[in-house]
Amino acid sequence: MNKFFRLYMPFTRAGIQSTLMYSINIIFFSLSELLYCFVMYYVWLAVFDASDGQNFMGFDMQDMVLYLFMTNVTAYLTMSQADSAIAEEIKDGSIAMRLLKPVDYHISILFKDIANPIILFFMVFLPMTVCVEIYRGVTAGMIMFQPLNCLLYLLSGIIAYLVSFYLNMCFGFLAFYVTNLWGVSMFKKILLKFLSGAAIPLAFMPAALKNILAFLPFSSLSYTPVMIYMGKYTGAELLLNVGLQVFWLIALIVLCKLIWNRAIRRLCVQGG
Amino acid sequence: MIEVEHLKKEFRKVVKEPGLKGSVKSLFKPKYETVAAVDDISFHVPKGEILGFIGPNGAGKSTVIKMLTGILTPTSGSCTINGKDPAADRKRYVKEIGVVFGQRTQLWWDLPLRETYGVLKEVYSVPDEKYQKRMELLNEVLELDDFIGSPVRTLSLGQRMRADIAASLLHSPKVLFLDEPTIGLDVVVKNNIRNAIMEINRTEKTTVILTTHDISDIELLCSRIVMVDKGHKVYDGSLDALKSKYGIMRELVFQPEIAENFSEKDFIGGLKLGGEDLTVGHENGKWRVRFNSEKIPVKDMLSYTLSHIEAKDISMREADVEEIIRRLYKEGVGV
Repeated sequence: MNKFFRLYMPFTRAGIQSTLMYSINIIFFSLSELLYCFVMYYVWLAVFDASDGQNFMGFDMQDMVLYLFMTNVTAYLTMSQADSAIAEEIKDGSIAMRLLKPVDYHISILFKDIANPIILFFMVFLPMTVCVEIYRGVTAGMIMFQPLNCLLYLLSGIIAYLVSFYLNMCFGFLAFYVTNLWGVSMFKKILLKFLSGAAIPLAFMPAALKNILAFLPFSSLSYTPVMIYMGKYTGAELLLNVGLQVFWLIALIVLCKLIWNRAIRRLCVQGG
Repeated sequence: MIEVEHLKKEFRKVVKEPGLKGSVKSLFKPKYETVAAVDDISFHVPKGEILGFIGPNGAGKSTVIKMLTGILTPTSGSCTINGKDPAADRKRYVKEIGVVFGQRTQLWWDLPLRETYGVLKEVYSVPDEKYQKRMELLNEVLELDDFIGSPVRTLSLGQRMRADIAASLLHSPKVLFLDEPTIGLDVVVKNNIRNAIMEINRTEKTTVILTTHDISDIELLCSRIVMVDKGHKVYDGSLDALKSKYGIMRELVFQPEIAENFSEKDFIGGLKLGGEDLTVGHENGKWRVRFNSEKIPVKDMLSYTLSHIEAKDISMREADVEEIIRRLYKEGVGV
């Protein structure tokens, strides 16, 4: 185990260094995400003002704010760039250089990709959560922060990241067949936003659709951890949903290995 | 050490008809065609040999290298290196080899060069003490000190190539694959790199497989060459044998002082050579005479030219690898 981390930690370290080289990039990307949150905030504010009651399908405005910001932070943190990393390597042929190293392909990509959530955890998650909790505390007049929920959220968030990573890996392998993945990638991004509940809470959707989406792996990405943070999942429901996350994680790892074993045979490194 | 038997690699390619119509057509109904990039190549390399692997662009050199390094899986045939099958046993196999692709880099693009070596040290689990010694040695031969602290993306091509070669040697590999390591480099850096390769080969008995288009690389480094063309092996033996057997075409370029005074007919007439051994062409007032230096020594050719015409800008050029292979292929050499 120790040897395993000694082997792969350098990828994370180098990944963090590489990402920090472009810290302006992170700042502006984070700002644009924040801007999106505020736009959505005003949209929902209008919805709540127009509706009769304070309560909209089990969410009040305070819940909505918490949901909105936490979902976007979570989606942002668990967003894996594995697909574009793989697609890029396949497109320019640099996958060859990685294959020449005595390391596992998936795991070396994973450890490099982890750099992103680690940086974002400190740069985005901590300040954002503190702000949201202050907002909650001020509007409710008391401290609403639940340490246990937050801890469970982090655990579920880590699984969410891994699900996201393997989902993106599988998707990235499409690049073996479609050499330029950019168009498909844009489509995937928007679709994920809807399917994972990042655009509209799954709780607001018609029951049939909600049940399907809740079962699919996409709800594992941000919906489950956020529901845990908000304290909407407790007891058996919590176990069930985290169990579902673990199930999808294992399924995707297996799928990913299967695709890889097939795809590597038809790899053709372009040029050079 | 390295055994390659009947190696073959086929690629499936989309055939696109010309023009916009063709593009649209191939979008909906792609037509495929199978191309054999490497067809039935076999050779053996003993330990400690430097093998020059040469051939024109698109001959299949890089494809062979990629199969030998485990990146590509052969369609049929086999290669065994140190008793291991590269594609099947990739993770364990690549610990024993070092690879440099001249047109790619294994260095971390955004990080200072030093960091890449740090990563590689862990990846190949090189012990601290050995790593120190190795870095000192590589520093000495490849002169990395000047730029080891700079981010890789700021390095010049020559610096990057030296850094890449150092990276491939860090873990003391048993076999070193170099795919066009001197491409686009100036003479000083080329020399530097050649010395490093010779040094490592001499002291550590590293087997080296090298592809190149630079004939001086081959002359200085390789004890043996394998030549491929259109996916087939066309020659396997020493460079000297090749030279003495097929001669070497040289090219003499000159510009007559007064163009009107120069007669092509007289010039050729005095040489008593013809056909493949002597061809003459000219453009922009410059004359290019290609001749077989086995039939007429360079020295004689020069003195003949100087005594015959008043010329400015006389220069002599050696034929490159392409030249030899073109000649070889034309004459249909049996391997």
